[in-house]
Amino acid sequence: MIADKKYIKRSKSFDRFFEYFFMAMAMLSASFIVIIVLFVFTKGISPFMKNYEYGQVNLFEFLTGNVYRQDMQIYGVGFIIINTLISSFLSLLISFPISVLTALFITKIAPKQLSGIMQSVIELLASVPSIVYGVFGSGVITVFVMKLSNLFGVTTFGGSSLLSVVLLLSIMIFPTLTSMSITAIKAVDIDLEKASLALGATKMQTNFNIVLKAAKSGIFAGAILGLGRAFGEATAVAMVAGNKLFGPTFNPFDITRTLTSTMLAGLKETTGLDYDIRFSIGLVLIVVIFTSNALLNYAKKKVGNMS
Amino acid sequence: MKRKYKDILLKDMTYIASFIGTFILFLIVMYLVIKGAGLIKIHLLTSNYNAETENAAVIEDYVYHDMTDHDGNYSKKWGIAFEDVTTSHKEEVISVSYIDENSPFNHLYSTVAGKNNQSVSIEEGSIVKNMYYLDDSGNKTFLSETMMKDAANLASILDEKATGIISINYQSMGGGIKGSLIVTMYLIVISLLISLPIGVSAAIYLHEYAKKSRLNSLIRQGIDTLTGVPSIIYGLMGVTVLFPITKLVGAKSTSVLLGALTMAVILLPTIISSTTEALIVVPQGLRDASLSLGATKSQTIFKVVLPSAINGILTGVLLSIGRVIGESAALVYTTSTVINDAPTILSQGTSLSLMIWSIMSSEQPNYELASAISLIILMVVFMINGVVKLVSKRFVKSFE
Repeated sequence: MIADKKYIKRSKSFDRFFEYFFMAMAMLSASFIVIIVLFVFTKGISPFMKNYEYGQVNLFEFLTGNVYRQDMQIYGVGFIIINTLISSFLSLLISFPISVLTALFITKIAPKQLSGIMQSVIELLASVPSIVYGVFGSGVITVFVMKLSNLFGVTTFGGSSLLSVVLLLSIMIFPTLTSMSITAIKAVDIDLEKASLALGATKMQTNFNIVLKAAKSGIFAGAILGLGRAFGEATAVAMVAGNKLFGPTFNPFDITRTLTSTMLAGLKETTGLDYDIRFSIGLVLIVVIFTSNALLNYAKKKVGNMS
Repeated sequence: MKRKYKDILLKDMTYIASFIGTFILFLIVMYLVIKGAGLIKIHLLTSNYNAETENAAVIEDYVYHDMTDHDGNYSKKWGIAFEDVTTSHKEEVISVSYIDENSPFNHLYSTVAGKNNQSVSIEEGSIVKNMYYLDDSGNKTFLSETMMKDAANLASILDEKATGIISINYQSMGGGIKGSLIVTMYLIVISLLISLPIGVSAAIYLHEYAKKSRLNSLIRQGIDTLTGVPSIIYGLMGVTVLFPITKLVGAKSTSVLLGALTMAVILLPTIISSTTEALIVVPQGLRDASLSLGATKSQTIFKVVLPSAINGILTGVLLSIGRVIGESAALVYTTSTVINDAPTILSQGTSLSLMIWSIMSSEQPNYELASAISLIILMVVFMINGVVKLVSKRFVKSFE
């Protein structure tokens, strides 16, 4: 009996220990988001402080400036923010209809075998690392853009251009958008479809007017996720952007510069203003992603309420 | 009728959309295969990236051996064959295409200062830069670098004129990915060693212990938000937060270890979510049975729940490996972009993806090598994808 009690006591404290251990690990995992924001924030705002060791940078000029020259220590990211927004939204514009149609094809239209194959295609595209997309982008997309620009009689800088960035990004967010749309469409109540068909609508009318409308909010969530990915995509974009020194860029055949490509450009030393300013840009990137997410989520609620 | 045509049009549109996606996947794979498949040989995996120059002395009184025949520009007397190649820098050079096992070129003595007559041998693929040979009458003749353009000529000179070779200057081929392979392995092992216990524990807490409370929903929200953070931001976090930790162990600059620690954080959401998914599938009855037999909660978790969820954890591990292999932006900041042929945990180095980044951002990008590495990465990632699909299918089945 005594041994039993001891055993029970021991296993109880054992139990306690593990509960606290698991909890500590969960809290550690979650705390990283706080750590990330905190540290990028403190380091990111340091160049704008009065006692900054490499000479204070004017925050207002930084945020609204239209010239970014590392060599002359002129850091203005206003046009870079606009460039990032332009390229990301344009890529969403291209990718969105294609992904929704593909998702509809996979879930409702394709014969079973074809649907399985398409599903695998989407999964494979999703698993391609961004650096590989980058190699593809600078090997194929830039060449394509160069040829296209020759048709229009415009010269490009080796194909690196806003258009290349947009095309590459639309390919890269395509799997995200599609798989989110698939999940949303699959969640639509089958009774809705049946009702629509019973009322005499054709299969396609049902798919487009009923299913897509019902899946609207899920598809929209996918678009938000895809946009977030487009904002944060770094290496692949940097390989085709070309890093313009001033802007913003509106001409699709002109080179551009995004927040992420700026953060990666000419990274050599690990001290100094040129290094610290990358944290400021990272902070801007976080703010851009956060704000656009919040705005779009607000819009999503509005859209959701309308129907 | 109009309705019918509209229907067909809409249907065709979905077919076209699906075709576009498939076509792009096809295009990516085809491009990489056409550009890079030619480079994928064992040699690529085992050799260094940076070429090494070697100067070696040879045999002045050469005794003839029997050599087997070989195709190409082959000197049977010396047991060595050459071929004309163009390097990635567009230079025309002569490279060694075959060496017989009895060839005297297998037993050379290094004349590079500091190497003390170390025994060296020319490897296949080495580029011959210049050479001094002895002819019949005992004259030394020098074949300069500019004369090293014609492989057939060189083979015939060796066969007909040379009776001894005083010195040969050659360069190992380089362009290999050995160092990057090692770094990638380090990154995978270290990051998983750290991330797996933390991630699995966190998932267990969230699914098995956590009751509805403000704190727990905050924890959930925090982990969910991590998924949406771009990897470049993780890189920034790595150099500020984790660098001091690696400094304690002795790292002086960015290092493979720092990259691995950063990757460990990046992997957390992946591991937590795939473990959670596996825990959800484990039937509640198993837990109840274990508990009613008198096992404690932690015993139940370790001996019943986790073994049943092992497939889901395995999925998380596989996905993590894929993520580490493909990651680039975060590692640019944390492990540097210096291609290192002999990396250690505390040195700088590039993973396979970073090596591509490093190659592509140089002044004259070597598209062939970048594509070859991309192709290797893609093959591994696709394979992981297939295995994950298989594992999760069998896993779901095992509880049906």
